[in-house]
This record gives sequence, C-alpha cells and structure tokens, in this order.
Amino acid sequence: MIKTKVWIGIIALVAAVCAALTVFIFAGRRKGRTVEIVSDGKVVMTVDLDRVTEETTYDIPAPGGGHNLVTVAPGKICVSEADCPDKTCVRMGWLSDGNAPIVCLPHKLVIRPAGGSQGADAEAR
Amino acid sequence: MKKLIPAVLLLALVLTSCSSLRAEKTADFFAMDTYMSVKYYGGPDGESEKLETAAAELEKKLSVTKEDSEIARLNRDGRAKLSGETEKLLTGALDLCRETEGALDVTVYPAVRAWGFTTGEHRVPDKDEIDGIVGKIGYGNVTVGGGEAALPDGYMVDLGAVAKGYLGDKLAEILKEDGVTSALLDLGGNIRAVGEKPDGSPWRIAVRDPAGDGVIGTLPLRDETAATSGGYERYFVDEDGEIRWHIIDPATGYPAKAGLISVTVIGKDGLRCDGLSTALFVMGREKSVSFWRERRDFEMILVTDDGKILISPGLSGMFEPEKGSSYSVEVIGND
Repeated sequence: MIKTKVWIGIIALVAAVCAALTVFIFAGRRKGRTVEIVSDGKVVMTVDLDRVTEETTYDIPAPGGGHNLVTVAPGKICVSEADCPDKTCVRMGWLSDGNAPIVCLPHKLVIRPAGGSQGADAEAR
Repeated sequence: MKKLIPAVLLLALVLTSCSSLRAEKTADFFAMDTYMSVKYYGGPDGESEKLETAAAELEKKLSVTKEDSEIARLNRDGRAKLSGETEKLLTGALDLCRETEGALDVTVYPAVRAWGFTTGEHRVPDKDEIDGIVGKIGYGNVTVGGGEAALPDGYMVDLGAVAKGYLGDKLAEILKEDGVTSALLDLGGNIRAVGEKPDGSPWRIAVRDPAGDGVIGTLPLRDETAATSGGYERYFVDEDGEIRWHIIDPATGYPAKAGLISVTVIGKDGLRCDGLSTALFVMGREKSVSFWRERRDFEMILVTDDGKILISPGLSGMFEPEKGSSYSVEVIGND
C-alpha cells in the first residue's frame, strides 16, 4: 500500500512538472515579441514590445539623407512619419503580431521580428 | 525521492533539447524594389549569398528603371535581344495575359507611370491623357521569339506582376539542388514554401487584412506559392477623396475597381500565382469565380469590398479565419 502511494506521488509530481514546463515554454514563446530596427543592413535598435510602457518616437536617419520617425507603443511599433517619396512604410501601419516586416525601400529601413516567428511563419500581402 | 530526481531531469532534458536540432539560417536582402527574407534549414556555406546574387541577376535583366536591363532596352528601342531566361519569362507572362483575356497585361506600364506610381509623385491624369495611353496598351502587339522581342512605338513592357513569383520558384530550385528540404521565402509578401517545417508540419501563412492592420486568417503551405494582390500598400487619395491604387485595369487605364480589395492565389507555379492574383483583382468577383470554375488548378481567397471572404473549396477546412474577424467566409460552390 505504501509503495502504491509513493508511485501515485511520483506520477502526480511528474505531471505537475510537465504542466509547469508546458506553461513556461508557451508563455516564453508568446513573450518573444521583440523587433529589430535595421537601417542599411545594420541593426540599430532592438525593442521588446511587451516591455514598452509608454509611447516613444525615435528619429532614424537614412544612409542617403532623409529620415523616418519610428513610434514604439506598448505591444506595437510603426513608422509614424517619413520624408521618403512613397510613404509606403507609414501606410503599413502598426506591426504587432510579428508576421510581416515594415519596410521603407527608399531609406533602406526594415523593422522586423527578431528571433523565432510567432503565430504565422510569414504573411502574404 | 531519490528515484524522482533523475526522472525529472530526464523529462526536462527531453523537453528542452528537441528545438535546437537544426539551426535556422536566414538571407535578407533588397531586390526588385522590395525586401526579401528567406529562412532555410541546412544547405552549404554561402547559400545566402547565392540567393541574393540570383535575385540581383534577375533584376538586372528585368528592371524597367535600370537603363541597361533587357526590358529597359526593349522599352527604349522598341526592339531588343533577350537572354533565354527573359524570353522564357516574357513568353510565360504573355501566355497568362492571353489566358486572362488581358486582365493581366504586361504592357500596362505607361498607365501605371502616368498615375505616378513608379515615382511616388501621384497624380490623376485627365481623360484625354488616359485615352491616349490606353491606345498604347495591348499585350497582343508584343512579339517575342528567336531570342528577341519587339514592341510598337510608345509601348512599354513591365514584368513586375510575375517576376517575384518566378523568382520564388527559381530560388526554391537553387535551395533544393543544394540539399535544402525546408525553407520559406518571403519575397516582398509573395510567399514560396520549400517542403515543410523541420518538425514536419506545414508552413503557416497569414494573409494580410486589406482593410486594417492585422490579418484575415492563416493557411497551411507546402511546396507552393501564395501570392497576394491588393490596393492597400501602394495607393493615394485624390482631391475628391477617392482612393486610387496601383493596380490599373488595362482596359480603362484607371485603377481597377471591380468589388475586390485583395486576392490571394495559391498554387504550384509561382509565375502563374503571381500574375493571376493581379488578373483576378482586375476581373472582380464574378469573373474570377467563373475563371476558377473553368480550371480548378489553383486555390484562391477573394476579399470583397462588402466584407466577405470567398475561398475555393480546396481551402475549406484549411483556411482558418482570424478570431474575432468581422469578415464572413463563404466557400465557392461547384455549380
């Protein structure tokens, strides 16, 4: 009888550890919403969107002149202003779910998810 | 208790070790006026450079804006010698123009230029100007063969509507020849999958919401292309408040407004998927559905301007609409 109780205890413990690990792994995945701001091929800034507490705007100069204003807010990031001719980067809106990068071609600026992908692996657009 | 410790350690080891079996490699570069991002597993050293070089070489042949490209010379001189690859691509594109009865037209470029989409200096051309331009649009007047191509005076060719799709297949071939069995290529939103994910599950592709910041849903992709056309990235609002996007109806010279705001085509042939996404956008809902019914050799997702998502039957159960989305999803019937 005692042996049985010990075994039940062990199984319960292993199950608890499994559950804890699962929660830990999945929570860790969801937390990985980190993005990189890349200018002319170089990472100029890395931002963990989940740790942003207030809206902040950064001025990112372009290699050939001009600039983009990048706004970071809790859980999301966007190009809020740019002096490039097409303004496609501004129109791309907020990047929050980490599927597609925000790109400003004329200024060689890319804002992309860092590390592993969350949710989908890529975005058709 | 002594028995428990090794058991827990073993469990922890099993749970943490699987994810790091094969390292992900990436290649990120600018080509063809867009940002390209490739992730792949395995393959020899220097593979990323090889992909970037292949993209740059294709751009050098096809670019409408690089003065010494084959297409730029064809547009400038009305006649040009073509490499085997450009000839193959132009021939394939013209076949698709014929198949779509001109909904895709590789000679629509003068109209795209007149609206300012090539420079970003947007404008609304007046009716006389448009009429003049429409007279210089017509894929049927392009002749190609024997290593050269010719155009009537004032015509211009642009292969932009099919080039990324073609490039996806080309880069996928390079990867496969080098032993890569798992890769995902994002060529400016044109997605090409090689095999499946290293864990054996299909790649999951989200489709951009044409009317908002998020996505409309996701679908699995294996060894195929998903190409999307929409009016939401390159557009401007004119003086009357009307949205003018870059997809021009070759028949009218005006931005195509046929009730669709986004079209995604999924299939084996990248060039065809890419070109069809534009063609169906121009055709609109009814024509797209009958076009699909006559062929059934591709899958499609149409987003209408009245909030519906129409999917072909092959995507039923595959396409997962985004939770909380306001779109209603309908499967196209077989009748």
